[in-house]
Amino acid sequence: MTAVPQLPAEALYAERMSKSFGGLKVFHDVSFTLQPGGLLGVIGPNGAGKTTMINIISGRLAASSGQVRLGETRIDGRPVYDNAGRGLVRSFQQTATFSGHSVSDNLRSAVRFARRDLSVLERLAPLLEQFGLVENWNRHAEVLPYGLQKMLGLTMALATQPRILLLDEPAAGLEKSERSNIDAYVGFAQREFGCGVLLVEHDMELIRRLCPEVIVLDGGRLIATGSPDEVLNRKDVIDAYLGGGDEEDGDAEH
Amino acid sequence: MEGFIATGLIGISLGSQYTLLALGFTLIFGILGVVNFAHGGFYVMGGYVAYYCTSMLGLSYPVALLIAVGSTAMLGWLFETLILERVIEDHQATLMVTMGFYLVMATAILMIFGAESPEFSFPIAGVWRAGGVYFPYANMVVLGVCLAAIVLVYWLVYRTNLGRAMRAMAEDRAVASALGMRTKVLFPFAFALATGLAGLTGALVTPILALAPHVGDPVLAFSFLTVILGGLGSVTGATVAAFIVGLVEAYAAVYLGGSKGALTLFVLVLIILVIRPQGLLGKEVRRA
Repeated sequence: MTAVPQLPAEALYAERMSKSFGGLKVFHDVSFTLQPGGLLGVIGPNGAGKTTMINIISGRLAASSGQVRLGETRIDGRPVYDNAGRGLVRSFQQTATFSGHSVSDNLRSAVRFARRDLSVLERLAPLLEQFGLVENWNRHAEVLPYGLQKMLGLTMALATQPRILLLDEPAAGLEKSERSNIDAYVGFAQREFGCGVLLVEHDMELIRRLCPEVIVLDGGRLIATGSPDEVLNRKDVIDAYLGGGDEEDGDAEH
Repeated sequence: MEGFIATGLIGISLGSQYTLLALGFTLIFGILGVVNFAHGGFYVMGGYVAYYCTSMLGLSYPVALLIAVGSTAMLGWLFETLILERVIEDHQATLMVTMGFYLVMATAILMIFGAESPEFSFPIAGVWRAGGVYFPYANMVVLGVCLAAIVLVYWLVYRTNLGRAMRAMAEDRAVASALGMRTKVLFPFAFALATGLAGLTGALVTPILALAPHVGDPVLAFSFLTVILGGLGSVTGATVAAFIVGLVEAYAAVYLGGSKGALTLFVLVLIILVIRPQGLLGKEVRRA
């Protein structure tokens, strides 16, 4: 075990993260750094290990080796709620709301669970207005259109005042016209909360628009790092997509 | 017509008892993801604690009820904290642990009180009569206490922050946890609430029906059936299903014969589950 160097607070460090299930190694020595307020895209074909990575970082899965740190604090293997309390909050590919609760109760629950102050909802007001959540304030989440449920779930993550946001395919299932909401959301999270954002996404247009840097996963390995234009022109990245592509990768531009 | 109404009252009384059992069972499943095979054990324990307090210690029945609720809730809290919590992520282990705990409870009761059913009768006798409709006072009291407890549970679950957190956990543990909900605080509380409700039901119902070490077996079966019918994890679903089960059981027993009650119920539940596999008010399961 090497000594932990002095690190700037609130940056997310993944160092040689690996994960095995039984004798099968599915995630291989992945390392990267997400600076405070930074934005790092994560792309790769289905089965590349993107969600596994989010599960390890958030604490849902224990890493088999390597470590994850938030600032100087080692966080891998800690309970998900513990990491959320530290400001490391993840989203889910599907809608992530409490369906039998109103929009208002969903947001209040998120604030309470993270033990934050309800005044954060005032800071979120512009975003809630823009997404159309204010006009649905007292409606149950389950009766909202899918796109609104998705944005509610993402806004709940933001209501916890995270330092690091792990976004697992936030644009999945959204109409083309709704995807600009993700741009607004990510921009707001960085601007208003100073969040570092790890953005796992299949929508390459979105990745190109938002991310100055991306990492590419394939088969649980990090195969490329660089700007979106750089990595998407690399032969090994193109091969990874062509080899592992399926119908769910339809958004990917190769 | 009078017989129909009287049977309906019995069905509602049964339904209120099943509701108390099913609410606890569904909360434990929804919040902890655990099928609590020891649920019937806490029902039996509630009955024996009430029996011991009234018959051996000479305490009044209402005090015995409170002690039964308190002791079953406390044992539930200890069991969750000391044993279940250690294996909570392993579903098969939770099955074995809760099943094992039920056997330990039933055997302990057998060793302490023996296999014979003790003399334990409800302190209020007599029958209320209106025209041709008969309804025993004991059942009336049981119904009243059960309904009051149901109202209290609903208030807790729907009107308090703690309840909102419990419902959120029951709806989606992964999301609640991802937002920072501390599961280890909520788990023992939910478990104690559920076992306390089972203990209350046992203390109320066993003096009317029967008290013996094995009477927890059908309680588990009916709780499971009710919760599956209502939709696993659904509080409202468990309540609706419990009253359906109580009414179907009562009417089938009276109009089709005692042995047909359970048969009718299981056939009905099978038909409903074929049409709605997620139960009456359950939601389709999503895995993130």
